[in-house]
Amino acid sequence: MSSLQLRNIEKNYGNYHALRGINLDVAPGEFIVMVGPSGCGKSTLLKSIAGLEPITSGTMIINGRDVTRAEPGERGIAMVFQSYALYPHMSVAENMGFGLRMAKRPKPEIDAAVARAAKILRLTDQLDKLPRQLSGGQRQRVAIGRAITRAPEVFLFDEPLSNLDAALRTQMRVELSTLHAELGATMVYVTHDQVEAMTMASRIVVLNQGRIEQVGSPLDLYRNPDNFFVAGFLGAPRMNFFEASVVALEEGWVRVSNPGAGVFSIALRPGARLEVGDTVKVGVRPEAFHLAEEDDGLAASVRLVEHLGRETIVYADATPLLSVGSDTGTSNVTIHLPDIVGLAAGASIRIAFDPDQAYLFGGPDDQTLSPPKASAI
Amino acid sequence: MYPRPIPQTAVGLRRAYMVLVIAILVLWLAPLFAILLTSARSTSDIAAGNLWGWPTQFGLIDNYVGVFTQTPMARFFANSLLITVPAVVFVLALSTLAGFVLSKYPFRGSMLVFAIFIGGNFLPAQIMMIPVRDLMVRLGLYDTTWALIVFHTAFQTGFATLFMRNFIAALPKELFEAARAEGASPTQILIHVVLPLVRPALAALAILLFTFIWNDYFWAVVLTLSDTVKPVTAGLANLRGQYVSAWNVISAATVIVAVPPVAMFFLMQRHFIAGLTMGAVKG
Repeated sequence: MSSLQLRNIEKNYGNYHALRGINLDVAPGEFIVMVGPSGCGKSTLLKSIAGLEPITSGTMIINGRDVTRAEPGERGIAMVFQSYALYPHMSVAENMGFGLRMAKRPKPEIDAAVARAAKILRLTDQLDKLPRQLSGGQRQRVAIGRAITRAPEVFLFDEPLSNLDAALRTQMRVELSTLHAELGATMVYVTHDQVEAMTMASRIVVLNQGRIEQVGSPLDLYRNPDNFFVAGFLGAPRMNFFEASVVALEEGWVRVSNPGAGVFSIALRPGARLEVGDTVKVGVRPEAFHLAEEDDGLAASVRLVEHLGRETIVYADATPLLSVGSDTGTSNVTIHLPDIVGLAAGASIRIAFDPDQAYLFGGPDDQTLSPPKASAI
Repeated sequence: MYPRPIPQTAVGLRRAYMVLVIAILVLWLAPLFAILLTSARSTSDIAAGNLWGWPTQFGLIDNYVGVFTQTPMARFFANSLLITVPAVVFVLALSTLAGFVLSKYPFRGSMLVFAIFIGGNFLPAQIMMIPVRDLMVRLGLYDTTWALIVFHTAFQTGFATLFMRNFIAALPKELFEAARAEGASPTQILIHVVLPLVRPALAALAILLFTFIWNDYFWAVVLTLSDTVKPVTAGLANLRGQYVSAWNVISAATVIVAVPPVAMFFLMQRHFIAGLTMGAVKG
């Protein structure tokens, strides 16, 4: 169980800035999940921590020791790869004991470490098999076992579950969370899967274009995103956004106008600077919408309904609500209803949202301007 | 369906194809058959001009024993082994080391080094003949087996490095990263990860190199003079000069000379294992 500190990590590939000024403090025993879109630098950052990619500048400290220039093997890290990266010619036991064998540790110690890891991962019966004789889930467990036998200061996971099928992924997610609780080890985990991030993380690190956008607990990030990017990145289905213009400013409130949604007031966080005429972005989570009465809310026509059993997701066109960065392409508003709704494509509905549940983004970096919302827990 | 299964194509075409295959096969194997046949004939048959008919008497054992009793072939054979085996071992070792570095540890100018390795293969032997002979004379290696060992090691390593580099480069990158993250040194990675996985490539390369070097005639003639160092290829040519009439013995010697490359193939065959990297990475 060890701490990890990253100080001003920079990484350039020629003129391309892969990592820009990364600062992060990981406390002993934390499960840090790094998320971000493709090419945001999350895997590069993980490989930099592992020492597999050199960094341009900055400092890395593991358990109080400066490891910036250390070889991967000297850093006290163990890495689990997306593709498992098992040595195909070695048995499961040999794979798991490889690191200790390379370090020329005595055989009894290696055998004990392998047996212990195998027991934790329920691989005791598979120790003599070759990787090609195992299923995908077993292979990934061997890769994790290989990390455990080395008893590292920090575990690094590079999208370890993305090669597994959906059912196995859910199972391994739970197993990994359990493993983390059992070992109490410090783990850094890279994924593009929101569910993994939300369910496993002590804290989530959202990366974008080589920068950390926000760090925080999953619920905190979901409830109180710092900016437009984080708000749009976390949450599935994605938050709805539309542009509005500022028509009036009051103490702690702003009145905004949108051709579809009309004029409404949103609370403003202290110190937020806005002027009448500014364009802002309003964000509304799909679950913050509800079906409204005849004369309330705004008109929309249903494009597609997804019945998930207990809940319903409605993709609709709310005209003339101008949306920003819609990811469904065809519809501009997504509504997540907590029950079964008898709607079909083509139906005309009216939808409304509570402005207290809406987010306001503006300014040069699309910062969140609405006040923090109380966390659910 | 593409390609179309052969039974679906025209019958006439199929028959013509079979005839052509058999014709080529006969043409191809006729010299080999002639040599095998001649090596079983007696001297009197050959003197009488009975080259293709049924032998009047069989000289099979006499001929093959004669190779070792009447000619210095045993010496040539030993020379060939003393040249070929070390040369193959040296080339395999050097090309694996060079291929490992060139594929996984790029440095400034590594592509240039690689290009030189490849480019060396395109130098025609005739151009190098005099300089290489002079070099060997100055090194004091001329007319020793070391001349051929050094030469073959130097000039086969280019092609072998190309072969090994490409094979090692095709191994999954994650295996190297995983080994490095586990604290394995480059030497440990080479021994414990690379070598077991390139075994089929090494076996294939060993056969190729063995055959090339064993069958080399040109450099054997250029770099050796005395019977004590001559390999079989040059030795066989000598035999023809000295024993003009003994075609049966020469044929028997030829058959014996052809055995080691074939033996080498069967020896290495068990290392040809498909899908050795299966299970390493998903995909």
